[in-house]
Amino acid sequence: MTPLRRRLLAMLAILAVLLSACGGDDDDGATGPGDDSQASGEGVREAEEDAPDEGEPQYGGSITIGLEAETNGWLPGTSQPANAGYVVYSAIYDPLVARVEDGSIQPYLAESFEPNEDYTRWSFTLRDGITFHDGTALTAEVIKRNWDEYLTVDGANTKGALEGITVEVTGPLTYDYVLDKGDAAFLDTLTTTPGFPFSVEAAAAAGEDAGSRPVGTGPFVFESWTRDGQLVVTRNEGYWRTDEKGNQLPYLDRITFRPITDEDTRLDSVASGDIDLMQTLRQSIVRRAREVVDGGGFNSYEWLGNNGGAGIINTMKPPFDDVRVRQALVYAVDQEQMIEVLGGTGITPPQTQWFTEDSPWYSEAAADAWIPYDPDKAQELLDSYINDPERSDGQPVGTPIRFTYDCPPDPSLVELSQAYQAFWQQVGLEVNLDSKEQSAHITQGIGTENDPFLRADYDVQCWRLGSEADPYSVWNSAFGPVETEVLNVSDYTHPDITAKLEEMRLEGDLEARKALVEEISLILAEEVPNFWTGGTATAIVAREGVKGILSPTTPDGQEIDGAANAIIRTPFLWLAQ
Amino acid sequence: MSVLRRIAGRLVVLAAVLLAVSFLTFAMLNVLGGDPALAIVGADNADPETLDQVREELGLNDSFLEQYTSWVGGVLEGDLGRSYKTKQPVAEAIGERVPVTAQVGLLAIVLALVLAVPLAVWTAYRSGTKVDKGASVATFGLLSIPNFLLAYWLGYLVSVQLGWLPRSGWVRLSADPVGNLKTALLPALSLAIAEMAVYTRILRSDIIQTLQEDYLLLARAKGLSTRRILFAHALRPSTLSLMTVIGVQFGALIGGSIIVEQIFALPGMGSYLLNAIYERDYIVVQGVVLVIAASFVIVNFAVDIAYRLLDPRIKV
Repeated sequence: MTPLRRRLLAMLAILAVLLSACGGDDDDGATGPGDDSQASGEGVREAEEDAPDEGEPQYGGSITIGLEAETNGWLPGTSQPANAGYVVYSAIYDPLVARVEDGSIQPYLAESFEPNEDYTRWSFTLRDGITFHDGTALTAEVIKRNWDEYLTVDGANTKGALEGITVEVTGPLTYDYVLDKGDAAFLDTLTTTPGFPFSVEAAAAAGEDAGSRPVGTGPFVFESWTRDGQLVVTRNEGYWRTDEKGNQLPYLDRITFRPITDEDTRLDSVASGDIDLMQTLRQSIVRRAREVVDGGGFNSYEWLGNNGGAGIINTMKPPFDDVRVRQALVYAVDQEQMIEVLGGTGITPPQTQWFTEDSPWYSEAAADAWIPYDPDKAQELLDSYINDPERSDGQPVGTPIRFTYDCPPDPSLVELSQAYQAFWQQVGLEVNLDSKEQSAHITQGIGTENDPFLRADYDVQCWRLGSEADPYSVWNSAFGPVETEVLNVSDYTHPDITAKLEEMRLEGDLEARKALVEEISLILAEEVPNFWTGGTATAIVAREGVKGILSPTTPDGQEIDGAANAIIRTPFLWLAQ
Repeated sequence: MSVLRRIAGRLVVLAAVLLAVSFLTFAMLNVLGGDPALAIVGADNADPETLDQVREELGLNDSFLEQYTSWVGGVLEGDLGRSYKTKQPVAEAIGERVPVTAQVGLLAIVLALVLAVPLAVWTAYRSGTKVDKGASVATFGLLSIPNFLLAYWLGYLVSVQLGWLPRSGWVRLSADPVGNLKTALLPALSLAIAEMAVYTRILRSDIIQTLQEDYLLLARAKGLSTRRILFAHALRPSTLSLMTVIGVQFGALIGGSIIVEQIFALPGMGSYLLNAIYERDYIVVQGVVLVIAASFVIVNFAVDIAYRLLDPRIKV
């Protein structure tokens, strides 16, 4: 063999390796659980079932966590943390309250809280002896200054949500939140940025740079931040919390957070050992993570929350102002096939309502009432509308319905759009597909540039709906007045829903609230202002030596779901030596 | 004097290009749709009053021309503004990111040249042989692979499978030079491979043409070694087209870096620009585009000067 031939063969060999690396990935992607596993009921691999026996926590070590996104800053009031941001928040700050596994909200930095009878005044007592990283004390006065000087000032992104709520200091460690309008679900507000106290002294000293020099009470002290690069925190030696056995928290010496926005890169980074653990909110990556775990050396903690893939319908725009057309859209589509298109078969179950089966708000009755796949029924409803001389779109009898389905140009969403188009065309609907990138898509859904204000500007759109927040908070936004509720993206209101939400606002009894939630869920199942594409699984993927992911508790010992929403709770992480 | 005049002329061109590019960018962002105020406030916290307040504060309620002239006024005073979203001064953010993008870009060009020059010289010398044809197939093949795909392949193969280099992240040169090279190598290689193919094709053609020149026939007749003829006498006069291509490809390199920085999670200009577009952070997009356009013009000016160094007969 000549030297040239040898070189050519070597080049071909390298090319073949590169191609097999790519092809192998594709092949693997195609060999996930298929219809059989779906039929056998395999779904999200419950994190609790997979939790290994972790043994006694050990101190020391550093880890790197891969986050799905960077956050714009770390000062509540200007900061906009999503799931990724709250991972960092869990290191630098502590929350006043926290949602625990049964869905209720319990004290954390707060020692206790108590609402008055009409939920217009929430009295809080802070734990004694807690200091911020700069040595200043956490007091009721600090909470008030956080509120007045940062969270409710002009330009604060929390100002709108906190409208009509003030803080009254009643003692060194006691204060009240005073609400213009009673709200039994007020604590929801404190599970987000307004509920994470920060040092006002440090924020004032940092001025405009306060967002890049956060000072909280949390288990780790901020060290440095290179935007889009990495954020480093080190152990807070004077942290106020211990674990259930009285061991001082946190266990780790140092954490580096790295935003890695590309999903495949993040998973590859765990697999290659660049990072120790990561979060993902994409089911295609949840599936790939299973393959990594099956290869050995890694654990994946999956979780299925209330946030689901959905379609929203512009109910103010004919013909979608007619419930027959909205129902027909749902009858025409086989949701299980849509899940398969998104690569979620065997991971995420079909969704029937705003809450998944694990949620305390889930309703069997609403699940039974949800519209099944029945193209004949869809056809019947559409014929009824099309041949109705009084049809709302003013078109002549017999004119087919034409509309546009919008979804961002992500490859999997393009496939999803095409699948919807195919299902709807089978029942005679004429569907155009349109695609705008995320920001324009959201603006179109919300309709911020329209007259009247906030009137949506689409026909049918893909969207994500639902969260772990209290149903009152979620639905008050989703089905409140069109001209004031930005998140009423379906532009849908219903007098019965409005009345029941008003009841919920002042109803503190859990069972009574559940009954109201079920009633609203049943109305929504019939009225169909939105439909579901399927649940959305999330996962935390970690190399085997990383422990404590499922161990979070409140200071009073109540368990917090450590896999929820793929928000990694850093105080409890430790490394097996 | 004439040199000064030429530099002044170039500066005028630079200013005109920057003005045109920034205006077009501003116009395109406005056409794109999306609401910067909504991106800043966040959909969960948005209410009509806050959104309007933010728009007013940022001047987003002003007309398109008012917004543009206000931004140009700031730039003329040396202020690129602050990011709507992060509040960080844009100039400071660009200053943090330029070294990442510049280093990866330069390394890509160096890698591409190191691979392309010997290959081009060799295939030109062996023009028409199986070596040349094999190299042609390989370079065309590499040219047809999108660099984002190459980036994923290289990342998977070199990092995940072989564990030789990090799959993601960036180590600053000042912190750890070896670590820095490790983090820069794969992104640079992802960009360099397509560049290498282009450079090889261009340089090979030019060398083949140069090798027909009489003075090289004379050199052969004088008994100079092949290596000396190729590298000392044929290469230099054949590099003019290559220089032009390097200048023009600089733009493609920046385009490629936007994707490659995402794939390797590098905190460079590309990822900064991409995120700013997604978040409708107009002021950041404007600042980054301005710097990219300026560097493009400057690089091409440098290429013009390099012409003169390579061939003194050329007047820049």
